[in-house]
Amino acid sequence: MNCREFDPRLHAFVDGELDAGPMADAEAHVSTCPGCHGRADGERRLRQLLRRQPRETAPAEFRARILALARRERTRKQVRAWLGTPALAAAVLLLAFMLIARSLSTGGHESEIVASLVDKHLAYAQLEGPAEFASTERPAVAAWFRQRTGLRVPVPDLSPAGIQLVGARIAEADQHRVAYLLYEKGHVLMSVFMVPEVGRRAALAGRSMSFRGQEYLAQERQGLRTVSWRDGQTLFSLVSTLDYEALLECAEQLRAERAREARL
Amino acid sequence: MLRWIRDGGQTSEFEGVALVHLDLLYRAALRLTHNRAEAEDLVQETWLRALRHFDQFDPGSNCRAWLLTILRNAFLNRLRREGREILESDMAATEAGAARLEEASVARSSPEEDFFQTVLHGDVDRALKTLPLPFRLVVTLADLEGLTYKEVAQVLDCPIGTVMSRLSRARQLLRKELATLAREHGYSKESR
Repeated sequence: MNCREFDPRLHAFVDGELDAGPMADAEAHVSTCPGCHGRADGERRLRQLLRRQPRETAPAEFRARILALARRERTRKQVRAWLGTPALAAAVLLLAFMLIARSLSTGGHESEIVASLVDKHLAYAQLEGPAEFASTERPAVAAWFRQRTGLRVPVPDLSPAGIQLVGARIAEADQHRVAYLLYEKGHVLMSVFMVPEVGRRAALAGRSMSFRGQEYLAQERQGLRTVSWRDGQTLFSLVSTLDYEALLECAEQLRAERAREARL
Repeated sequence: MLRWIRDGGQTSEFEGVALVHLDLLYRAALRLTHNRAEAEDLVQETWLRALRHFDQFDPGSNCRAWLLTILRNAFLNRLRREGREILESDMAATEAGAARLEEASVARSSPEEDFFQTVLHGDVDRALKTLPLPFRLVVTLADLEGLTYKEVAQVLDCPIGTVMSRLSRARQLLRKELATLAREHGYSKESR
């Protein structure tokens, strides 16, 4: 092997990725060529430097969140497997018909976006400090969103209803980037998701609910209540264990805040 | 019903093979996003996708490469959605640029690598951040995480030859950046 032949194999040589034959040839060349020897040495040192870099580990609370996700998903799968036994097939079929009938009556489809928002809520509800940007100041939270996403996010004052602002996050759900406001009533988390629907609208389902002249879609998932609606190009969704009345009240405040912002 | 409850308490097969790679996924996500919250969100998305498609995972195959492939795809999807798409043409341009740089530096290459002694804590992080995404990714996988060429090729969904050429260029760029940083610290030979 000469320098010309060694050159394209330099990195594979240093990484120990050459087959036995070429490896022996390369070794023979390096042992007799100071230039290539020096270059291989330099590459080796760079590699060692990189390998020596501190290796960060995932924070414990994040690890716990991930494990909780896996547990929930497993339960879901097991329920599915459990339903697979023949004795239950007929009952499931019946249930399926009922659900189809209901979804036809509301004109909806299986709603992936709300499912993933509920997943988000559950994951963050377990944390001591779930907000990425923790603040009880509405203008500070609005400014944070403007700075991070360029979006004008309405941050309603829900304190008359005893619901306090905790902070904000930017999340990702069902391939949408989502502005996420976190509120708290006592120790109950309420998530407010705002999904800008640029180009593509997310599938949305649920029972229609009318509240003070506005239409909402409500659905229950994993023991949580959700209220969703569209306003212009944005999909709004509230997720919490709070009752529907409280959620709809918050929804109205959010609409009002958005309207106020639009006027400014 | 009882059986279901009992099974629910056991560690799943997925966790058994995937959990050991969580830190690796987290580190890779940090290198890609440069942001903790985004990295966590990306890993969470990766984890859910992996869980839901675990039936497609061949138990005999390489789990960390499989997980990293999902992570990479999820990340690229995000870039695309945000309009920050790395177009193949951009990438070709980046590679061509790096190739010219490489030729130039090979021509006057010297085995002297004094700056290795003067690399300060944090320099590697800073230097890595300056690399264009495809190069940062290949160095992260091969050098920082120690994946084999074959694994890297699987994750990047490209031939091993591409891994080799990209890695060579990535290291060249990294070395240049590290040398620049060393010069800035005022310790390298040229400035003494």
